[in-house]
Amino acid sequence: MAVEQDMFDTVVMADERFHGEGYQEGYEEGSNLGIVEGRRYGTLHGAKIGSEIGCYRGFALAWKCLLHSSAVEKDSRKMKVVEALIALLQHFPYDDPTYERLHEDLDRIRGKFRQLCSLLNVQPDFKVTAGDSGLAF
Amino acid sequence: MKDSLVLRSRVPAHPDSRCWFLAWNPTGTLLASCGGDRKIRIWGTEGDSWICKSVLSEGHQRTVRKVAWSPCGNYLASASFDATTCIWKKNQDDFECVTTLEGHENEVKSVAWAPSGNLLATCSRDKSVWVWEVDEEDEYECVSVLNSHTQDVKHVVWHPSQELLASASYDDTVKLYQEEGDDWVCCATLEGHESTVWSLAFDPSGQRLASCSDDRTVRIWRQYLPGNEQGVACSGSDPSWKCICTLSGFHTRTIYDVAWCQLTGALATACGDDAIRVFEEDPGSDPQQPTFSLTAHVHQAHSQDVNCVAWNPKEPGLLASCSDDGEVAFWEYHQTAGL
Repeated sequence: MAVEQDMFDTVVMADERFHGEGYQEGYEEGSNLGIVEGRRYGTLHGAKIGSEIGCYRGFALAWKCLLHSSAVEKDSRKMKVVEALIALLQHFPYDDPTYERLHEDLDRIRGKFRQLCSLLNVQPDFKVTAGDSGLAF
Repeated sequence: MKDSLVLRSRVPAHPDSRCWFLAWNPTGTLLASCGGDRKIRIWGTEGDSWICKSVLSEGHQRTVRKVAWSPCGNYLASASFDATTCIWKKNQDDFECVTTLEGHENEVKSVAWAPSGNLLATCSRDKSVWVWEVDEEDEYECVSVLNSHTQDVKHVVWHPSQELLASASYDDTVKLYQEEGDDWVCCATLEGHESTVWSLAFDPSGQRLASCSDDRTVRIWRQYLPGNEQGVACSGSDPSWKCICTLSGFHTRTIYDVAWCQLTGALATACGDDAIRVFEEDPGSDPQQPTFSLTAHVHQAHSQDVNCVAWNPKEPGLLASCSDDGEVAFWEYHQTAGL
């Protein structure tokens, strides 16, 4: 009698069991795919920010040299802003993607860069998109 | 109640176009208007009527969204959708464009002069607020680019006596900025509106700020200094701002502008329901929780959206308004007896 009961149980519960197993398998596969996709997205995004920061850095260092060689008093504000931009770039954490103020700092850097372009009277030669990142190369 | 705001005259300021914004010069003798026709017009009185004294048409390629007079009254700044801000110098009735400020990526939405006249602020759809410094030779240098807002910045306004800047945005917030060391920083964010904040106005003392929004409310914010008696928390040495009053239920559409009369303290609003309303603080209401009453309401003030209201800085009760219908109207406001 007890055996018969168990047999029926297996049949009756089969639906639930398969559902549970299926869920588990699906969850694992989804997690794996998610990690792969997340990593790919993170790499792409990180690289974008990296190249943006790198571009600003090259720009700032080049202008620092140029301003140095033509030390006119009127350029003191330009020099100050170049220095400020370089300081911001140096403090930007390249190796900590979980840094809380990442976007805040990035916005400050972008602001400083645009202020510098305005002071130097140069047009940044990249297009600006309407998207969230603000800049595209 | 309706009788307390009386129409004095009406002029077709920007025919076949929209009139976006108005600005009185500091002595209250001239009114500048700007519009979708890319023109700025300067209005003055001759006898009893308002006439166009000058047209500034060469400066901009697209809509002129806002104009602002310098505190000395000799310069006019204009913000345009062509991404530039022009500075016009006044010589008698003539205006000459002396500088064009470039830098914003797209539409400049607003411009404002600091009370000292040495600083100028602009804001844009590119989400940034720029602060410019003016030197003795009329040269403008950018002193800061502020990226605090996450959306289109609609309006900028300076505190009436301090170097404190406020901005309103499509991100539903108001932000305040001040100088810190060599740079400008956002020192407060005013959250509460449920939709786009369109305009801002300080009260005469600068202690309170009114903001108007697409959520059909006007909010009054009050500054609390560190160590205030009311026990409003401040972080460090920065004052904090708290919403002390919300005017809701009066407006049926977006409120595009709010003006706080520096002479009488009356608060006027420009609304998308074509109406102009005036509010006054109830006498004896608690300064920590003030109440305001609607003292004037003109239903069909214009035939389309009212975009701007501006109190004359010298003549109490003289209010100018402009609209999508291209017209500028002049109103006389009388304070209701008993107030």
